[in-house]
Formats: sequence, structure tokens, C-alpha cells
Amino acid sequence: MSESAKVVPLGRPRRARQGPDTDDAEARVRELEQELARLRAELEGGAREGLMVALARLLQAGPGALSWENLARAWSASYFSWHSEDVDDFGYDKKFTKTILPLFEFLYTMWWRVEALDVEHVPAEGPALIVANHSGVLPWDGVMINLAIRHHHPARRECRMLALDMFALLPFLAPLLAQTGAVRASQENGERLLRRGELVGVFPEGVKGVGKPFKHRYRLARFGRGGFVRLALRTGAPLVPCAVVGAEEVHPVIANANWVGKPFGLPYWPLTPTFPWLGPLGVIPLPSKWSIDFADPTPVDDYGPDGADDPILVNRLTQEVRSTIQRLIDGRLARRRSVWFG
Amino acid sequence: MGRIAVTGIGSFLGSRLLRKLVELRGSQAVVAVDIATPPPALAVAHREVDLTEPASDQHLLDVFRQEGVETVLHLAFFTNPRRDSSYAHELESIGSLNLLAAAAAAGVRHVLMRSFTAVYGARGQNPNFLTEELPLSPNLGLSWVRDKLEAEQHAAAFARRYPEMKVTVLRFAPLFGPGVHTFYTVIFDHRVVPVLMGFDPLIQLLHPDDALAASLLALDQAPGGALNVVPSRPIPLVSALHLAQKIPVAVPHPLAQLSADLLWSTGLGDAPGGFVDYARYSFVADGEKARRALGFAARHSSRDALSAYLAYRYPRVSAGQPEVAV
Repeated sequence: MSESAKVVPLGRPRRARQGPDTDDAEARVRELEQELARLRAELEGGAREGLMVALARLLQAGPGALSWENLARAWSASYFSWHSEDVDDFGYDKKFTKTILPLFEFLYTMWWRVEALDVEHVPAEGPALIVANHSGVLPWDGVMINLAIRHHHPARRECRMLALDMFALLPFLAPLLAQTGAVRASQENGERLLRRGELVGVFPEGVKGVGKPFKHRYRLARFGRGGFVRLALRTGAPLVPCAVVGAEEVHPVIANANWVGKPFGLPYWPLTPTFPWLGPLGVIPLPSKWSIDFADPTPVDDYGPDGADDPILVNRLTQEVRSTIQRLIDGRLARRRSVWFG
Repeated sequence: MGRIAVTGIGSFLGSRLLRKLVELRGSQAVVAVDIATPPPALAVAHREVDLTEPASDQHLLDVFRQEGVETVLHLAFFTNPRRDSSYAHELESIGSLNLLAAAAAAGVRHVLMRSFTAVYGARGQNPNFLTEELPLSPNLGLSWVRDKLEAEQHAAAFARRYPEMKVTVLRFAPLFGPGVHTFYTVIFDHRVVPVLMGFDPLIQLLHPDDALAASLLALDQAPGGALNVVPSRPIPLVSALHLAQKIPVAVPHPLAQLSADLLWSTGLGDAPGGFVDYARYSFVADGEKARRALGFAARHSSRDALSAYLAYRYPRVSAGQPEVAV
């Protein structure tokens, strides 16, 4: 790759003078030039050394070099070896996301063996609102929907997930979510993203969905108060129903001990077969087989932005989307033979 | 054309703006209204008024009438928290009230008041971008921000009561750049900086040049109402600390508030515990209204402002000199 990239600047004028397949060659040159630019940018961005290299240098230089200044420099270098110096205005850090992507990819392909169907229903461009069922205690479903679109959609769009307050405000999880592109769920934030033409994902069930007990699995909770429909109506973004099957089983909630979570500001404290009995190991999700189905988008631009003020319309659309998702889920469940093997 | 009265000329923004106004409109156009004396080189008229004195409204009214003041640039606010909070209260809240009353009585056309994006309050429930019409709900236990909030409330009340007098409030993001010395920049001067464990809010650092440009635009256009003046892009706090090559040390939140209060009351800390919220949650303001109303778009991002400050504060490191041999 790097060899072919190196010859590009010299090769261009010569190829341009050639006759018949000039267009083809020029397209190829442009492609290679872009590749070269990308590699250069990567090289410059990745020139900072990691913590280990920096520490090794420090040790090599002997005890005299162990100053606050050098320690701070080593720490800074290691931080920026996996964080970007420039995040977007919601705090999305592309470099950090790329760093931890292998973990997500492992979960997607090996652990949960996600099967994504009809991803092309997601519009290739322009704003759209993906509406999905929420389950699995931790917001893994959002990550997997995002990966499904990145893997299988021709436009490889990124989906900005609107995260529940309980996740978006939780210490440690809050910065993690922001850095991987999630945004705290609110009308203002959602509207801002959609007006920019981004693809946005919401889980209207909210806390009621993600923390529901195992015996209520795959029965959709109430879809909030239709906030997501109002969001779509105001911005004209189509609604794309999405059904995630398999996430209910990753942390089967046997019972809730909500009084434990209360002092920490958590809305629930789940008891699963592994949590909290196995300590930190208890947060390892079970390897169920997942599927993610997308339905035809529901266009809403015919109603106009004023439709957002019509509660009857909002509720009708809410129920429509909800029953579409429930239908997708029920269809999947009927075909599913095993929780672990699909 | 009427003259511009400037208060708070001792502040960073005040001194810079005074200089700029003299440069643009001549020293005749400006009157410094302050207990501090303006630099003699500027040759501007100086009227000594203490805003904290009970009869300052009458005094100000006389000054505004005698000097033919048409515009008041009110910048007498403390950027840094003060230990004598009652003085700050008298100056910022009561002083602003007196100034607004005098301006209204003198028939002043436009009052431009400085404020802070901190008045929105740092709350988890904040939208990622705070717009001007949102209610202001800062931590009222923090007198620093309470005084600013009260000044804003006075400004809004006067704007309602005297529609012929335009009152513009500019909510500046924390200033950061060459020449700025605030408790915010002092935090970046320490080697080890405490941060809150598990939190990394986005912060906005405003380059002084942008603050100046926005103020001049607002003086020219007198738009009225509140406007956020913010950099083009925020930056995560921890990222900013690492860019400055500081060592962030994570402190659990309940401990942080307590120890900050303790350090503050013993005279060691930079800021009281009420500021801990601002290191916990974002208070990023949206600059869209200023873009529409003033045509102001910040030329610098928070990162630019930070880099400019670091280049000014640590010229050796930033000049691209070889790093200390390791």
C-alpha cells in the first residue's frame, strides 16, 4: 500500500497524457492520492508515543529524569495516543472510538454474532431517527445498532445515540458515552443533531425498557410521551423502526434491589444470575445470539412541523412505530430456536 | 454622537476595551467611571464614582448628564471569587441596580453589561448547548454566581420597564488567552490539577480577541437582550489539562466539594466548593443568537485559546524548542 502510494505524485502527469483509459487512470490516481493523504494524516496524528514507550524512555534516562515535568509529558503523550486533540462539539472523539472499536467488533462478530437485516432501510443521507427497543441493563444495544449500520449499510453512516439520563450522567459511563458519540437524550440535543442532517438513534422505552425484569422480556414498555415523534415531526426526519432481539438475555434481571442504587442516584439496581454475586465479572454479558432488524422508514414530512403540536397525531404515530417494532420482534422470536444459537 | 461611559476599567476586559475604544473613536468619546484611574496615556476623562456607595445612583446620574453619556459599558464584575463576598454583592448586584437606575433617568440609549455563561449553572440536565431563552438556574449557594444572576435580573427588569433604553447582556464564556489571569487560568498553572473522578465535562475557553470583537459589535449595533459570546468549539476538561501537560488527579465528588471549601476558607484554594459543579457538568453555551443578531462568529476555538495562553505563559516550551532531554 505504502509503495504504490509513494509513486503517486510522480505518476500523475505521465498517466494523464495517455490516451483511452485516462479517466480510469485519473480516478485511480485520485483514489490513491486520497489514500496517501489519509495515511499521512494518520502518521502525523499517531506520531505521539504511548505510555509504555514514554515510561521506558524515562527509566532509560535514569532517576535524574524523573521530574514532574517529564511525568506530565509522558502522561499527556499516552493520553493523546488514544484520544483525539479535537473532539466535535458534543464531545465525540473519533480517535478514542477507533481505539476501543476492536472490543465492540469482538462483541459484534464473535460474542453476540449479530445478524443485521434490512439495514438499507436506513436512509443513505439526510436526517433520520432510528427508533429501537431498549433492553439489557447496560446500553450495549446502542453500540450494536451503530455497528450494524457501519458494517452493512452502503453509506456506512454513524448513528448518534440519544442516551438516557441515568447513563449520560453516571460517573465514568458519562464521558465514555460522550466520547463514543452518544448524546444525552433531550429534545434540544436531538433537534440540533437532526437539523445538521445526522442519523440519530432513540430508545423511547427509556428506563422502563432497559431495566425490565426477565419475565417481561420482549414486551415493549410504554413509549414515553411521544417525544421522539415530536422530534421527527419538527425536523421532518423519517422514523426508522428497529428491533433488537438477543439483548434481553445478556443480563437477565431476576429481581431488582432498587434501594441499593438509590444512594448512588441510580433508578434501579438489577440482580442477575451473575451480578453482583461474581463482583466485576458479573458485568460480563452473556453470549446470546443477536439479531437487529430494520423496518421501512415512516416518512413524517407530510404532516409538517405543526404536527408536533397535535397530540392525537403524535400518539397515533407513536403507537404505529411501537407496533411495527413489536411485530418485528415477534417475527424474530417465532423463528428463533435457541437463545444462544439463534 | 453621545459618549460612552465605561465602568470596571481595572478588569482585563475593561482595560482592553477602553484602549480599543480610544483607538477607534478618540479619547473624547470615552469617559472612565471607576474608582480606578485610567492610564494617563489614554487621556480620557475620569469620573470617580464608587458603585458600592449608597448614593451612587445620584452621583452616576449627575455624571451621565454632565458628560452627555449615551452608552454605558458596564464591566464592573469580578471574574475571580472573593473572600469578602459582601463587597462583591454590593458592587455587582446593588451597583448594577444603581447604575441601571441612573442610566434610565439620564436617558441613556444603550447599556451593555458583561455577564458570564456560568449564570446558566452547571447541571446534568442541561442541554449540550445552552440558549439564551433558557431559565438561569445556577447554584445559589455560590455567592459569586448569585451576584451575577441578580445583576442580570436587574438588567432584565429595567429592559422591561424602560423599553426606550436598550439593555444588552453579553454572557462571556471563561476568558482564556494571552494576558488573562483569572482563577481559571491559575488552575492551569498548577502542576497537579484535581478533577472529579468519573467526570469529564466540555468546557469553553474564549480567546480575548473574540471577546473584544463581540463587545465592539454589540456596542455598534445595540441589539438588546442577552447574548452568549462563546468560542467556536468546546474542549473536554481532561483533554485541555493534558494539552497543557498537567497531571490530573481524580478526586471523588463529595470529597472534592468539602476539601475545596476547606482550602478556600483557609486561604489556600483558588475557588470555593460551589465551583465544583463546573468541573462536573458542562455549561456550554450556544453562540447562534450572537451570530444572527451581531454577525459575530468566534475566530478561535477553545483549543486555540488554550494554545495561545500556553504560548504566552510558557514561551520556551511552545516555541517548538526541543523538549527537555529525556
